Amino acid sequence: MTISARRRSGSVLAVLLFGILLCGGTCVLAKTNLWAQDKSEALLEKHTLVIGKITQNPKKLFRYLKPMVNYAAEHMKDLGITDTEVLMAKDNQRMVSYLKQGKVDWVTETPFSAIILQEKAGAEILLKKWKKGVPDYHTIFFARKDSGINSLSDLKGKTIALEDPGSTSAYSVPASILINEGLELVRLASPREKPLADKVGYVFAEQEITISTYVHKGFVSAGAFNNQDWNKDDHLPKAFRKNMIIFHKSRPFPRAIELVRKGLDPGIKQRLKEILLNAHNDPKAKKALRAYQKTEKFEELSEKDRDSLDEVRGILKSVRSELE
Amino acid sequence: MIKFIFVCIILCLTAIANMAFAENTEPQELLIILRDNGTITQEQYDKLKQTTEHKAQEEQSSRVDVKVISKGGVEVQTYDGNFSFKLGGRVFVDAAYYDEDKNALGDGTELRKARIDTKGIIFGDWDYQFEIDFADGDADISDAYIRYNAFFPTRITVGQFKEPFSLEELTSSKFITFMERALPNEFAPDRNIGIGIHTHGEVWTAAAGVFGEEFDDDADDEGDEGWGVTGRLTYSPVHLDTRALHLGAAASYRIPDDEKKVKFDARPESHVTDIKYVDTDKIKNMDSLIKYGLEASGVLGPFSLQGEYIYTNIGRDNGSEDVDFDGWYVYGSWFLTGESRHYKFKKGAFGRVTPMSKLGALELATRYSTIDLNDGPITGGEGKNITFGFNYYFNPYIRLMLNYIIVDNDEDADADGDVMGNDDPRIVQARLQVDF
Repeated sequence: MTISARRRSGSVLAVLLFGILLCGGTCVLAKTNLWAQDKSEALLEKHTLVIGKITQNPKKLFRYLKPMVNYAAEHMKDLGITDTEVLMAKDNQRMVSYLKQGKVDWVTETPFSAIILQEKAGAEILLKKWKKGVPDYHTIFFARKDSGINSLSDLKGKTIALEDPGSTSAYSVPASILINEGLELVRLASPREKPLADKVGYVFAEQEITISTYVHKGFVSAGAFNNQDWNKDDHLPKAFRKNMIIFHKSRPFPRAIELVRKGLDPGIKQRLKEILLNAHNDPKAKKALRAYQKTEKFEELSEKDRDSLDEVRGILKSVRSELE
Repeated sequence: MIKFIFVCIILCLTAIANMAFAENTEPQELLIILRDNGTITQEQYDKLKQTTEHKAQEEQSSRVDVKVISKGGVEVQTYDGNFSFKLGGRVFVDAAYYDEDKNALGDGTELRKARIDTKGIIFGDWDYQFEIDFADGDADISDAYIRYNAFFPTRITVGQFKEPFSLEELTSSKFITFMERALPNEFAPDRNIGIGIHTHGEVWTAAAGVFGEEFDDDADDEGDEGWGVTGRLTYSPVHLDTRALHLGAAASYRIPDDEKKVKFDARPESHVTDIKYVDTDKIKNMDSLIKYGLEASGVLGPFSLQGEYIYTNIGRDNGSEDVDFDGWYVYGSWFLTGESRHYKFKKGAFGRVTPMSKLGALELATRYSTIDLNDGPITGGEGKNITFGFNYYFNPYIRLMLNYIIVDNDEDADADGDVMGNDDPRIVQARLQVDF
């Protein structure tokens, strides 16, 4: 066979393989919906421990969650747990539905979603998670040093950049703080719009770097996100930070919460709690903890944490009634 | 043949669209017709409608949700993390002007890359990639592999993929700083069919594999294929978003096929021309090929440095003398707009740059590279290139690149006698690239 003939046959093979893969891949995904119906029944089986999370990126989160649920299940064999699954939800409502149906046993979430899942699905708050190595975080309000803004009341007639309606530290918390301060919020379509003199305008910037850029360039008067974003150069470049001041901080909130569904076998629930509380002492848990959003450890909620969660309930109420 | 691919793509996209947007509306339409025809009463209609809606809701809640994402291409993911399918690709359009010295290089344009790429996850622990490049008029497979991830961070890959050698080679062409990789990249083994293992700790990565040859690279129907083993270690004590340090070393050992020949040749760092100044022609009687590579890179905010040295030894039999070649490069880059090059520690390579501003990002870079293909009886020539680069990132997926290259060749860099040696042209070239 000549070289050019070999290349041609190679090309034909490549194209055929590619075509088969394209159609095959699509069919597999189309079939997934049908397969998933059968699987949902399987998830109800007692021998499968199912972990869940609300996310917009299920592919990425699968790699975070699977090692941890596998690690936990390894220590539950005597309780009949022989298999693990991950089932993620696109929003709170979907996760509520999964928890009510018993499709998800264990959820890791932000305090705000945790409270919603507790209120609407009867989920039980189990532990506090040191996500990304920290137990708590708080919201900071910041502005340019030359803006003349030194307090929340200075925002009247001005605009603040927030992230998006799904964000805890860059929407729910700052919005509720402003509302509790007696300020009236009004959503603006773009930073170019101006609020009325007696109101505070807010815009959704979608990303932390956009919030800080809006503030740096003077498109808006202030921004809000969490204290970890403040120290992250990707979200607030050093060149921006040196010209900014923090003019208000929220109280700290637990970084993340572990929950279990209502009605989960008490033996499994108790064992899960023990496993998680001891994980940071177990060298075999190191990889799973790292994958699990760089968790340093889990701990029982303190009185202070419970007070913070009560405040979260209040915040949710005020944000819902005022803005939604 | 290309039409066949496009038909497949259309079918595929249609299926995805149906999956994403289809709603169960048919039964309700039928009920409306039955009601309007007087076949059923309004009361019966209301009851049936309620039952149909309830069933549809039940069916919906028993399904695992599917997420459809598009950033130019299309990606579908299931919410249980078990399946995903992505259709993407890349197109690089180049133009080059040669300020010629002694030889004609041929100004012109080129479709440097025109790739369609599919990748996905199957049953959680398996993933695959299959990519075809149409750039030179043929359909060439680039990546085609299946990977097993159940022992993550250890992953096992089978198929055609890049051998673990060279930081620049392992950085995708979508993300390299200059339009072409540096001259010594000629020594990097590139893609071959084989089995590989890759793992990482908190500050290190390790990769190794056994490889045959490329999918269409069967030199002789009856003869045995060549094969080789390649391994790479990287160490990165710091790998933050804006600060990173990378050190790496790699080695490769290869036994040739029955022809026992090897050839090294390289264009100046411009692909529009076909002139490969440095060229050893076929070196015969090869019985082994050994390569060593050292690599280092550092990122400090908007500044970065990168360099590599690659040494190649060709062991020969039948009384032929062994020969050694080497090459190295070093370059610096500066993002005027404050971004940092994106170091992907687990891969030991660089990735996508995301502009901080919606106005885009600007990068300046300069590189010195050299390759020496002269040793003993082999006079393949020595080439040196100094490149000045300017990149404008419109957004994370579209980039404009401009390169100015000063070429310095020795007298043996004559494309194996096809052109005059000591040719020192200047090159201006540009690229608009998109990936999706």
